[in-house]
Amino acid sequence: MFRFLVRRTIGAAVILLIISAITFFLFYVAPRDPARVACGKVCTPQTLALVKHNLGIDDPLPVQYWHWLEGVFMGRDYASYGHCNAPCLGYSFINREPVTGIILDRFPTTISLALGSAVVFFVFGVGTGMIAAVKQGKALDKIASSASLIGSSLQIYIVGIVAMFYLSDEWHLLPRPNDNSGFTDNAGAWFGGFILPWFVLAIIFTANYTRMTRSQLVETLSEDYVRTARAKGLSGRTVFFRFAWRGAMGPIVTILGLDLGSLLGGAVITEQTFGLHGIGAVSVKAVKDMDLPMLLGVTMVAAGAIVVFNIVVDAVYALIDPRVRLA
Amino acid sequence: MSLSRRNFVIATSVAAGGSMVLSACSSGGGGNSGNGSHAGTTKYTGHVTVGTKEDSTGPAPEIPGARKGGNIIGIGPDDFSHLDPQRIYFAWNSTVANLYVRALTGYKIAMDGSMKLVGDLATDTGTMADGGKTWTFTLKDGLKWEDGSELTVEDVRHGIERGFASFTTEGAQYVQSALVGSSDFRSKYKGPFSNKHLDSIVTDKAKKTITLKLKVARPDLNFTLAMHSYGAVPVSHDTKDKYDKDPVSAGPYKIAQHSVDKSLKLVRNPHWDPATDAIRNAYPDSFTFQFGTESLPATDRLIAESGDDQYSVMAYSGVPAERLQKVLGDPQLKQRTINGLLSGLYYYAINCKRITDPKVRQALNHAWPLEQIRRIYGGQAAGDYATSIISPDILGYAHQDVYGKLQKPQGDPEKAKALLKEAGKLGQKIVYTYPKGSNDAYTKTAVVITNALKAAGFDPVVKPVDSTSYYDQVQQINNSFDVMWFGWSPDWPTGYTVMQPLFDGATIANGSNNVSQLNVSWVNDAIKKNAVIADPAKAGAAWEDLDKKIMTELAPIIPETFQRRFYLHGSKVGGALFDPLFSAFVMYKLYVKA
Repeated sequence: MFRFLVRRTIGAAVILLIISAITFFLFYVAPRDPARVACGKVCTPQTLALVKHNLGIDDPLPVQYWHWLEGVFMGRDYASYGHCNAPCLGYSFINREPVTGIILDRFPTTISLALGSAVVFFVFGVGTGMIAAVKQGKALDKIASSASLIGSSLQIYIVGIVAMFYLSDEWHLLPRPNDNSGFTDNAGAWFGGFILPWFVLAIIFTANYTRMTRSQLVETLSEDYVRTARAKGLSGRTVFFRFAWRGAMGPIVTILGLDLGSLLGGAVITEQTFGLHGIGAVSVKAVKDMDLPMLLGVTMVAAGAIVVFNIVVDAVYALIDPRVRLA
Repeated sequence: MSLSRRNFVIATSVAAGGSMVLSACSSGGGGNSGNGSHAGTTKYTGHVTVGTKEDSTGPAPEIPGARKGGNIIGIGPDDFSHLDPQRIYFAWNSTVANLYVRALTGYKIAMDGSMKLVGDLATDTGTMADGGKTWTFTLKDGLKWEDGSELTVEDVRHGIERGFASFTTEGAQYVQSALVGSSDFRSKYKGPFSNKHLDSIVTDKAKKTITLKLKVARPDLNFTLAMHSYGAVPVSHDTKDKYDKDPVSAGPYKIAQHSVDKSLKLVRNPHWDPATDAIRNAYPDSFTFQFGTESLPATDRLIAESGDDQYSVMAYSGVPAERLQKVLGDPQLKQRTINGLLSGLYYYAINCKRITDPKVRQALNHAWPLEQIRRIYGGQAAGDYATSIISPDILGYAHQDVYGKLQKPQGDPEKAKALLKEAGKLGQKIVYTYPKGSNDAYTKTAVVITNALKAAGFDPVVKPVDSTSYYDQVQQINNSFDVMWFGWSPDWPTGYTVMQPLFDGATIANGSNNVSQLNVSWVNDAIKKNAVIADPAKAGAAWEDLDKKIMTELAPIIPETFQRRFYLHGSKVGGALFDPLFSAFVMYKLYVKA
């Protein structure tokens, strides 16, 4: 296990390094000059040069990239801001703040959204999938299967807006989605602010889990070892949970890990739809503003989340399914 | 202040969202004869005059029925890009800056929308000498910063001198250039941080006076100094670049909490004395700005008004075209709107270097289909037809219409054709350009423009330019466009701020705002002459005359619209008033209804 983790961590670091380099250099292919944003209404060449110097974008590209890497590992000093502690993902010249601080500020919203909806879609998805598998071919199975088909073909920006319009604006059943309160300062308000996004996000995701759980369970239930367990006279419940369910869970946990990874990197559309201020909203704004340090920061966080969850998933897979060995 | 050139870029791309109401929408009054009357209001707001010492003396007149207390919520798509006064240029930043920044002068806005330039920190609008080269202001008594320390003439000087610093590149540059007599002012003075001060600013702490000695005459300097770029900053609390995060308040509210792009909370500044302030009322206990909601969902929130949204206003991004009909069609919703004209003018610049014959340019003015264009913008509610260079918010504005566009807003192809024939230019090729990708409406207006030009005997060619590099391209001297979509919003409401940047031949260069590249000696001379007329009313009249003469004889532009913007507020919000300068709510007049 230890060797596996070390090897995968090194691999992940290499991947992140490559992603950072690609993002960095791609940004400069864009036609817009970020310095123009800070150059006033009458932008003289002198002012433009001054702005470029202030932003640290008058150095050659590889030098700028090297400074950025230095900041990540050792921290960095900015003329206009002062010292930025490691891991310093850069200084956002649009927001006039270190990128790391902004990301940390936004992370509670992203975590609340990702974990909350994961609980909902995992419980509902796996639950419905189990019922469908057990009642295979019966009415319940058909209802669950068709519902999941409909669910997976829906889009957040439609369901979200419709749900918000009726549930919050028209019927006043749920509060309008917001992230004004944190879990620790007002748990009730926090719950109210997120409940609608959780369920809307879950509608889309649940479908996958229902289908996946159903098909995995149907397949495992017909495996030899399950039949053997049954033949040995074990109770239906024991067979289902100790043998079939455990075997079926492996791939589902894999998908859950990857979904969580990408949700923690920012649910862009969900956040936009509900006006939430997580990592997704930060990335949209960064693109809009041509804010490279911010963009690079959120890209690294998103990529990092996916890479880390990949490792976690592989490790968990081995724990769940003894057939898998980490070599 | 106000919409700037770059604001037009922003407005047409993303930041201001639907606020420019330029996405396609039929009707809303469109399709009528379009006589330029005003949807929703009966008169132009924003009429400006220069106030007296009495006008400058606080407190601000009470608003009948207003009461103290409560919290007003401002909903907007994006966070304010700057809070440091010297880095503030855009109108939307100024809507919040009004709550905590004070400069020597400011605008006192009456509830009917008329404006007076008055002394804000100063006792009056200043004393001019030497034909506009010397200006002296005296500070009011009782001015304090949010920590209770006295606001001094040194702090006012510091605010002006900070405009020279290397980190204040975003702000206005007029006063800096005038003080040292060069547009490359940073090479002459680096700012006040090494305790060096400009010789051209003289302060007297005992008498509380500050005197600015300019290298060039600026009879409207008192208007320029009202820009937030020239707001006072306390010498002892200046954190340079970091001041942008935590500015010190001299106004009725101070910043209590700021989460970038998420929220900004302002609470009462206990050391602000209303007796020193003729401009601001301060009824609510606090303001909370919530960012991240685009204009469409913001409109829907305000229509639904659930919970605290009753106390909300659309902070600076207006009702988008797709909701205008719904909002204006429902009397109860309409009651919760304010509206007004954006300061400045949308127009089409004619490249005078390529279209050299004034007759052809006049023909273009006759041919231009204003009515069809405005219908695409959303009809009458989207704004008024522009028939002059100077917009209604400018001091001295007088209505004029040299091409009779109000009679024939759909265009007059016969008259245009006759002029072309006279010039021997029938079939003249016209390369028209607009920013592509920012707004659907421009693609649609290009079609009606093409049709109108063909009908008038032109040979139109449409060459759109990607919106991200639009301004860079049309502001090249050697561009290959004949007619270019453009817009201009003045930085303060005098004719100088329109005519000089747009038509002074001396400014022609790559990146210049004289996109028409008009360089005519009598125009250049008139600009120089009008710029030093000391009496504001006389100057206003002189700029109006020049406007008429330029449009009649030279026709370097085709004025399009003075655009209108609508905002919604919650039913518990009182004191709602459209700010003619910053085209949004006047925040400091709002109150929470009982």
